[in-house]
Amino acid sequence: MADLAAGPGLLEQIRLVSWLRWRILRNSLRKKSRRLDLLGLAISGLFSTIFVAGLTVAFFAGTKSLIENHHEQFLGLLFLALLVWWQLFPILLAGFTPQFAFRSLLRFPLKLSAFYLIGMAYGLADSAALAALIWMIAMLAATLIAQPAAAPVMLVACVLFAALNVTVERLLGAWVEKLLAKRRSREVFFSIFILAMISVQFLNPIMQKYGRGLVTVVRTWLPYLWLFPSSFAGDAVARSVQHQWAAAALKLGALAVYVALFTVLLRMRYAQLYSGEELSETAAPARKEKRAAISPSDENEMLGFLRPQVLAVFRKELLYLRRNTFLFFGLIFPPMLVLFFSVQFAGAHPTAFKNGVSPDLFFPGMMAYLVLILIAPAYNNFAYEGKGIQTYFTSPTGFREILVAKNLVTALLLFCEIAFCVVLVGWRAGLPSTPVLFATLAGMIFSIVGQLTIANWSSLNFPRRMEFGKMQGQRNSGMSVLIMFGVQILFGGVSACILFSGRWTGSPWLPAEVFSVLAVAALAGYFSSLDTFTDLAEKKKEVLIDTLCR
Amino acid sequence: MPDIAIATEKLTRRFGALTAVDGIDLQVESGQFFGFLGPNGAGKSTTIKMLTGLLAPSSGRMSLLGLDFSQHPIEVKRQIGVVPEGMGLFERLNAPEYLEFVGRMYGLDKATTRKRSDELLEFMQLADRSKTMIADYSHGMQKKLALAAAVIHGPRILFLDEPFEGVDALAAGALKELLARMTERGVTIFLTSHVLEIVERLCSHVAIIKKGQLVAQGSMDQLRAGVPSIEGRTLTLEDIFLSVVGQGADRSQLEELSWLT
Repeated sequence: MADLAAGPGLLEQIRLVSWLRWRILRNSLRKKSRRLDLLGLAISGLFSTIFVAGLTVAFFAGTKSLIENHHEQFLGLLFLALLVWWQLFPILLAGFTPQFAFRSLLRFPLKLSAFYLIGMAYGLADSAALAALIWMIAMLAATLIAQPAAAPVMLVACVLFAALNVTVERLLGAWVEKLLAKRRSREVFFSIFILAMISVQFLNPIMQKYGRGLVTVVRTWLPYLWLFPSSFAGDAVARSVQHQWAAAALKLGALAVYVALFTVLLRMRYAQLYSGEELSETAAPARKEKRAAISPSDENEMLGFLRPQVLAVFRKELLYLRRNTFLFFGLIFPPMLVLFFSVQFAGAHPTAFKNGVSPDLFFPGMMAYLVLILIAPAYNNFAYEGKGIQTYFTSPTGFREILVAKNLVTALLLFCEIAFCVVLVGWRAGLPSTPVLFATLAGMIFSIVGQLTIANWSSLNFPRRMEFGKMQGQRNSGMSVLIMFGVQILFGGVSACILFSGRWTGSPWLPAEVFSVLAVAALAGYFSSLDTFTDLAEKKKEVLIDTLCR
Repeated sequence: MPDIAIATEKLTRRFGALTAVDGIDLQVESGQFFGFLGPNGAGKSTTIKMLTGLLAPSSGRMSLLGLDFSQHPIEVKRQIGVVPEGMGLFERLNAPEYLEFVGRMYGLDKATTRKRSDELLEFMQLADRSKTMIADYSHGMQKKLALAAAVIHGPRILFLDEPFEGVDALAAGALKELLARMTERGVTIFLTSHVLEIVERLCSHVAIIKKGQLVAQGSMDQLRAGVPSIEGRTLTLEDIFLSVVGQGADRSQLEELSWLT
């Protein structure tokens, strides 16, 4: 029988896990693309430092001012801000940052207590937690200066509050992990996230209109916060500032009860994980299903003039769009933002300016914006194919058909979104003059068709795999992004010059005429490029397969 | 003169300094059940990728059903079916949608595609999971679906890269039956597998590749004749394979791991 070495101590285990995380990060940087990510990380790190430093000053000044001006009863609000930050920020980040499979440590001979402590250590090493700890130190420093006698209570309150937060954060993290383990629930989570992000855009206009009333509502609800742990922490310090030591001790005791309660809950959760709770990406075990009936509406008779191969890819693309919750919900963004811009900058009563932008400027601007954001995925057209890309190459279908089908879906989406937005802009800001309207429409055909041609080339040359229901790392390749920006600046610049040429020359129909000619040229260019791209796909097939099947 | 389904001439593929496939000359007759064997990294998948149009050869020629692949890729692809490495499935479709997609890509009309799709799903025992997305299928179910997609258009040559990997014994039995019947009807099957027993039972002809070069090719009897016999029993494909390719880790290496025993 093989010898079994004595297990490593807890500190050694923590050291080993830290080493493992470091090696994973270091090895991932060997790739060139990851090195670019490191640059991004450095830039975001700089901004994060400025953000944290700014708020450190704010927490310091806030605490000092509240204590010195005898408003210490509001200290609870600072703790509430810390609580919200500590708990919400990691959850929001969960979808965007690579998640270390903490549970995978369970295959090693760890005791439950070691697993628990490593989990807590992870929680404290979190960026949100580190920022919150710095802010709490700032609050402690401010108390030391403003009212040194209250500093010990502030210290105990901060320690208990930190313990509570890290426990709750790990507990929420464990639940979120369970939630995100299932594809469907992950997609629903991201959909809610996207909708929340869209809603945030409207905060400013809403605040401008109903801001005063909102303050009253907040004041009404404020007393109900007394049961929150943040209030106990704040009140403990406030009472110590007022030299009511017994009351301060009572509040700290209540905070300690919170800590104990969540510790028990977290330990129970970790015990479930420790005992081998299954979190699986796949669906539940087989259940009998009724066979999928194919309805007559699937016949696509309307598109019967298209080749069967084009129809097959067209239908597959629509199914993929419907099932890609992230992309599908992303379609809500453009009309919502057009609505937002029209409320802010156009119409009879814009919220940002006294006088709105004229429809002759606002309408082409909005349409250009729509093309800008809606055409972006076309620059990485094969992103979601995965291993299915092999089917394109093994089937007797040229890439001409595949590209046409994909571009048709993009064009259909653009048409629907633009048509809806035209109605929206017409309602909110009014339609432009007839020459500008026609010029804009012809300009859009020129821009869309021209960009689709270049996007096809970019998709074949610089593919990047993306995954359904994930947000982390889901972006086009660097080159593809550069090409897209370059092309859009070029098309935008040329289009703006043509549009303004009507004013400069005094002939309002000139832009429409020029754009019509350009649109015809773009269409000719598009169709003549298809065979070239079929050959290009053959040349690039190894890159495509290698990148997308990885 | 036998009817040749697959022929390669000095087929070579290089990846930088590495020559993965080094000038192989393959000859597979129509209707043969052909096993293509080799140790890990020998060049099996690279060869099958070249033969199915997933990878361009660095040099050499290949013709399928008498058609030069480089000259007539579409005509050749129309007549072959493939279960590639990784299976090539669109995982966000369900099985009927995927089969309909593949059928239409091969130019079948809608009615034929649906009829065949229904029959294949029934045969592969996937009909009761027709609403489930392929991403949620088990590995074995995905394999069965990939095989269904490879045959939906009635190919004349079928390329299968590890077709039985992860498939349960019941389904594997049915699949072997299906493949045997296809060869009876003249379909050529080109198969790679690490399970030598399966290859021995199914395949009439075998080729073995080692470090990118063909080291043996022929019927089982021809292969037996080419290696030293073992007294008292008929050589199995495993014997032949080990003899041609060489043993793996030797005993002295095993002895170094004595702490494991």
